[in-house]
Amino acid sequence: MTRQQARLFAIVSTALVVVAFAGMTVDSHRRFPELTNESKLTPQVIAGKNVWHENNCTNCHTLLGEGAYYAPDLTKIALQRGSEYLKAFMRDPSKFYDEQKVRRVMPKQNLSEQEISDLIAFLDWIGRIDNQGWPPRPILVSGAAIPGTDIVRGERAPQVTGAATSNEPIALGQAVFNATPPGCYACHSISPGVNLAGPSLADLATRAEQTLKDPAYRGKARDVAGYIREAIVDPNAHIVPGPAYSADNRSFMPGSFGKDLSPEQLDHLVAYLESLK
Amino acid sequence: MKYRSQAVAYWYFAVAMGLFGLQIAFGLLAAAKYLGPDPLINVLPFDVMKVVHTNLLVVWVLTGFMGGTYWIVPEESRTELYSVKLAYVQLGLWVVMGVTAIIGYFFRWGTGTKLLEQPLPHKIVIVVVMLMFLYNILMTIRRSGRFTTTEGVLIGGLGMAAVLYLPALIPFDNYAIATFYRWWTIHLWVEGVWEMIQGSMLAYLLIRLTGADREVMEKWLYVIVGLVFIAGVIGTAHHYYWIGVPHYWLPIGGIFSALEPVALVGMAIYAYSAMRRSGLQHPNTLAVHWTAGSAVFTLFGAGLLGLAHTWPGINKWTHGTLITAMHGHAAFYGAYAMIVMAVISYTLPSFSGHRSERGEPLGYWAFWLQLAGMFGMTLSFATAGIGQVYLERVLGLGFLETQLKIQVHFLMLLAAGTIFALGAGLFIWNFFRYRPTFEALAAEPTAPLQPARAAV
Repeated sequence: MTRQQARLFAIVSTALVVVAFAGMTVDSHRRFPELTNESKLTPQVIAGKNVWHENNCTNCHTLLGEGAYYAPDLTKIALQRGSEYLKAFMRDPSKFYDEQKVRRVMPKQNLSEQEISDLIAFLDWIGRIDNQGWPPRPILVSGAAIPGTDIVRGERAPQVTGAATSNEPIALGQAVFNATPPGCYACHSISPGVNLAGPSLADLATRAEQTLKDPAYRGKARDVAGYIREAIVDPNAHIVPGPAYSADNRSFMPGSFGKDLSPEQLDHLVAYLESLK
Repeated sequence: MKYRSQAVAYWYFAVAMGLFGLQIAFGLLAAAKYLGPDPLINVLPFDVMKVVHTNLLVVWVLTGFMGGTYWIVPEESRTELYSVKLAYVQLGLWVVMGVTAIIGYFFRWGTGTKLLEQPLPHKIVIVVVMLMFLYNILMTIRRSGRFTTTEGVLIGGLGMAAVLYLPALIPFDNYAIATFYRWWTIHLWVEGVWEMIQGSMLAYLLIRLTGADREVMEKWLYVIVGLVFIAGVIGTAHHYYWIGVPHYWLPIGGIFSALEPVALVGMAIYAYSAMRRSGLQHPNTLAVHWTAGSAVFTLFGAGLLGLAHTWPGINKWTHGTLITAMHGHAAFYGAYAMIVMAVISYTLPSFSGHRSERGEPLGYWAFWLQLAGMFGMTLSFATAGIGQVYLERVLGLGFLETQLKIQVHFLMLLAAGTIFALGAGLFIWNFFRYRPTFEALAAEPTAPLQPARAAV
């Protein structure tokens, strides 16, 4: 090979890949509106994006897996946690995590209520981008339990039998619990004493019975199944005590599951949770 | 040095060394925060340390590239620089830009866009400085009428680096599209045109150090540039995984970025065969260490460690974990930090009569401590990242619990980082410990170079 040939190789191959790259870029632009729900890119979402940039969030967190790796990925956080929880968290993160225990916490950002709402709108928009299904399983901020293994710290196994492939309502309900969406396990463990963003659901049926007898109970349910259903569909009907679960009498649990789950899914999920005794 | 105006390079290198030292200090502080709790959380939070650490890297490496170019171009074109004054004005403007940007970051004055945090006024100054620099270099070449392939590739790389910075100036409302174009700057810099710069500096050093035949070296330099672009341009696709782009970027990213190591293998073979065939004709064996080291460490850090997580099926699990930090540290260090230190080590004896031509023993300590430290840091990030991927991404343990379980790797990181800092400190100390003297040697008569083509 002569030098002229080598130079020709460099120039021609570079030109070819640049043309191919430019072509794919043009085609991507054709598809961006649909893939990123551009019709939902409201002024509030854009304002939230500015909050994200102004507070340098990306140099601790990742979004769509991009950023720094010091704090959790937030791609799906708005869908996992719901806006009530995120609002309370953004007002004062130190109420939710103990730095002595987890070794790193988010410094308080002093955001206004408007900025917090904008930011949550932005994160909600991000969570709905069509990104080839990443992450393949939800990334949890905190969760001492390992979903799927069901047993933590050698304690007794939950009384659920049957695989998700079985047609038993309980097994189908367990599959719903472990599926994404709704990703119940992102906030609720089924291990005793393991409280994540939401309370542990271990012994749920037993505790529900007690709650129903308690005069402090304000909901409309008459039996355990009714109580569980009510808690999923209308989380504000009865607030479980605990400063990390609610603020201003509003539960942090998203109220959208009644809409998002099909009636069969809801039945199965109730059957499964009712089996946790 | 042969030309009086090459003294400019020394001051660029001096600035680069100062910023390098700061970069390592902030890096260590950021690493310590992984152990937590962080007593400085409200004064110097992690995000600020991270911005300062990465921005200092980009600024000092670019300063090194510019210094290296101001050294190489007079020698290749056999002339004094077009304007020494312009070079110093440019350096002054650059330093003011860099220092005010860093100070601003402590007050959250930045764009909050990863690696492109510079506020708009600073971005504009960066473009102005780049234009001044390219003007000075092009006028130098034009005046001399001598234009070699090595400097052609070098200037092509620098010119395209300036052009590719422009997308960073455009704001986008759509975060996915903003991310898409952010990589035009970042990826096409570090896996495209910066590799042209590295390749040409490698060629320059190899020709000087080994006495390898220029005709052969420059021919293969073209081949390397071709290979870099074939894989690197479309390889941008590996940054387009999972960010809201059409699906075809996944297989295309997998295939083309799997090709990226080919160019880097080529670069390593290039260095090795030059030394093997031509032997060493230059006494500066320290510069040989850095030159060969850069070629080999690039293959390891950018090539192999990049390949380790570039396939979409793997990246689905590793995306956004410390695996990326593993690759990032080794790649940037091998390709860019080491090539700048190679050029500095090569030129340093020319700036002082007191220095040994072979390089001081201290210089060898600096080399090996840095190498050991960076290798240890890479392994720490790798082991931490593998643990993180398995516990958090595969098993589904929470992020915070996972980070607690991999604390031992952060201790390793800090230990290896300290060794690296020692090596970096020695390199910087060795740089500054002699007062520079700038005496141009009488140009010795040598066989005229074959210009690649007539200058513009």
